[in-house]
Amino acid sequence: MPGASLFGGWRLMERTRRNALLNLLALLALAYALYLFDRYGTDYQVRILNNMAIFITLAVSYNLINGVCGILHLGPNAFVAIGAYTSALLTMSPMEKQMNYIIEPLMWPFSVLNAPFLVALIAGGLLAAFFAFLISFPVFRVRGDYLAIVTLGFGEVVRVICNAFQSVTNGPLGLKGLALHSNLWWTWGVAVVTITAVSKLVQSSYGRAMKAIREDEIAARAMGIDPFKHLLMAFLISAFFSGVAGGLLAHLIRTISPTLFTFFLTFNLLIMIVVGGLGSTTGAVIGAALFAWGGEALRIVEQPVQVAGLKIPGIPGMRMVVFSLILMVVIIFARHGIMGRHEFSWDWLFHKVRFGAARD
Amino acid sequence: MSHFFRAEQLVMRFGGLTAVNDFSISMEPGELVGLIGPNGAGKTTVFNMITGAISATSGRVVWLGEEITQFPLHVIASRGIARTFQNIRLFTDLTALDNVMVSFHHKLRANFWDAMFGLPAYRREERRIKEESLELLQEMGLAHMAMEKAGALPYGKQRRLEIARALATKPRLLLLDEPAAGMNPQETLELVGLVRELRDKYALTILLIEHDMKFVMRLCERIKVLDYGYTIAEGTPAEIQNNPEVIKAYLGSQTHA
Repeated sequence: MPGASLFGGWRLMERTRRNALLNLLALLALAYALYLFDRYGTDYQVRILNNMAIFITLAVSYNLINGVCGILHLGPNAFVAIGAYTSALLTMSPMEKQMNYIIEPLMWPFSVLNAPFLVALIAGGLLAAFFAFLISFPVFRVRGDYLAIVTLGFGEVVRVICNAFQSVTNGPLGLKGLALHSNLWWTWGVAVVTITAVSKLVQSSYGRAMKAIREDEIAARAMGIDPFKHLLMAFLISAFFSGVAGGLLAHLIRTISPTLFTFFLTFNLLIMIVVGGLGSTTGAVIGAALFAWGGEALRIVEQPVQVAGLKIPGIPGMRMVVFSLILMVVIIFARHGIMGRHEFSWDWLFHKVRFGAARD
Repeated sequence: MSHFFRAEQLVMRFGGLTAVNDFSISMEPGELVGLIGPNGAGKTTVFNMITGAISATSGRVVWLGEEITQFPLHVIASRGIARTFQNIRLFTDLTALDNVMVSFHHKLRANFWDAMFGLPAYRREERRIKEESLELLQEMGLAHMAMEKAGALPYGKQRRLEIARALATKPRLLLLDEPAAGMNPQETLELVGLVRELRDKYALTILLIEHDMKFVMRLCERIKVLDYGYTIAEGTPAEIQNNPEVIKAYLGSQTHA
């Protein structure tokens, strides 16, 4: 019976303090693990961890729209692209810019703007959010499949602009030789901030209103909730963090071009949040982590193997086949994804542990 | 003419079909009025027009001295007109408690940043909302199911949860769309007492649609009857029961029978 224990006075206070302490410990453990990888990890491991953190940021912010608000938005690649280009243009030195833009010179004021990495990241996020604000008016006039098509269109428009607007984006040539600013501290720092901010929002009264809109928009409106205001709120926050993640991505792989931000990126994000569990932030984290790590771990299936004296040559691309199979199995056996709509919480963990101990 | 609430000559046409024609009603604070009529008479359409779920073809709705005819649904709700739905529309995947807490959101004083940073003012407000929601659930006999998902509740409880959720918006006018549908006679009887209690406790004015004649006759002080979009009768329960027009609408006329 949850009633008495859930709303009890001092026990609640104590639990809140315990959870805050555990959160702090978990953060310290994460920091220590990152420190170890930073010092002793191979480049390969560090790269995977960086990718993982960026995917986590993207998946968690994408899930806010698709999972929490229940809006089938198919254009996050636009936000990532805007964040990546904006931050890249801000961190590149005028010299680098001259070397990059060989066909058409970079137009003013971008040619002279320069900013430190943190400012560049935030600017990328803000510009992505501004773009989200502009498209929100046509986007939220429709719902369902129609909204999916409209957002898909905007995602594609941004990619095409990246290709065509040579005097700003350098067109298909892309931007090369960006400084390697992203490291484990930056990527995981942003991931932690994103997870914290999004979870806070989802658990708040505003998040509850968003979920109500997802469940039944008419009923939510009949209870006084303005759908546009709340969807816009989610959209802006999601776009901001996607933009920041785009900036991190640009300064990790150091070369960006329009081909990086196609619908394929959106599609991958969609896979992450669906496999993790639509509507669950924990699920988005798990989905993104599995995606980043799993893709690499599966390389073993492409290696040549020796079975009883028989040599089977590695088949390139085999891991994608296996990966697809795993995805299908997950969706067949866990139809609502790994987490469904559940969230990890310390209370849940302690409940499990106590329950398990009592059974033994 | 009431300054509290009145609808004047509401008309709703869907293409060539006139669903509601020339519907007018005036209500004083504290009244309990029933809206009855055969299936398809346009009762729910009247609710939809009053609450702004659909916009009326013509006519006006005046609420507390202000015309609200073309206001959007959520604005009308936040001004104190709440409703329940004939085909239950709960937030099925949220807990019963969350369903009720959602209704407090439109009155939230804390802004977005207060909520994001969990400032004391927001936390206090959230705590108050939770307590008030639990009280409402208690009142509707749902306290022990607060943490259950709304979709998992039995049918009768879902109807009650819808009323609790509507009450949580702090309405002054409550529109109940078939509150007794699917309930057994015992539950229906309890509901009569409950609706009266709620009206007195929360100083509500109630307009309700119901097919269960016993329920309507027992509860309402005044009844309006719709048939094919037209208002065919209006009066006290006793008057309605003996009105030949009403009998004809429900049972068909002698000549056709």
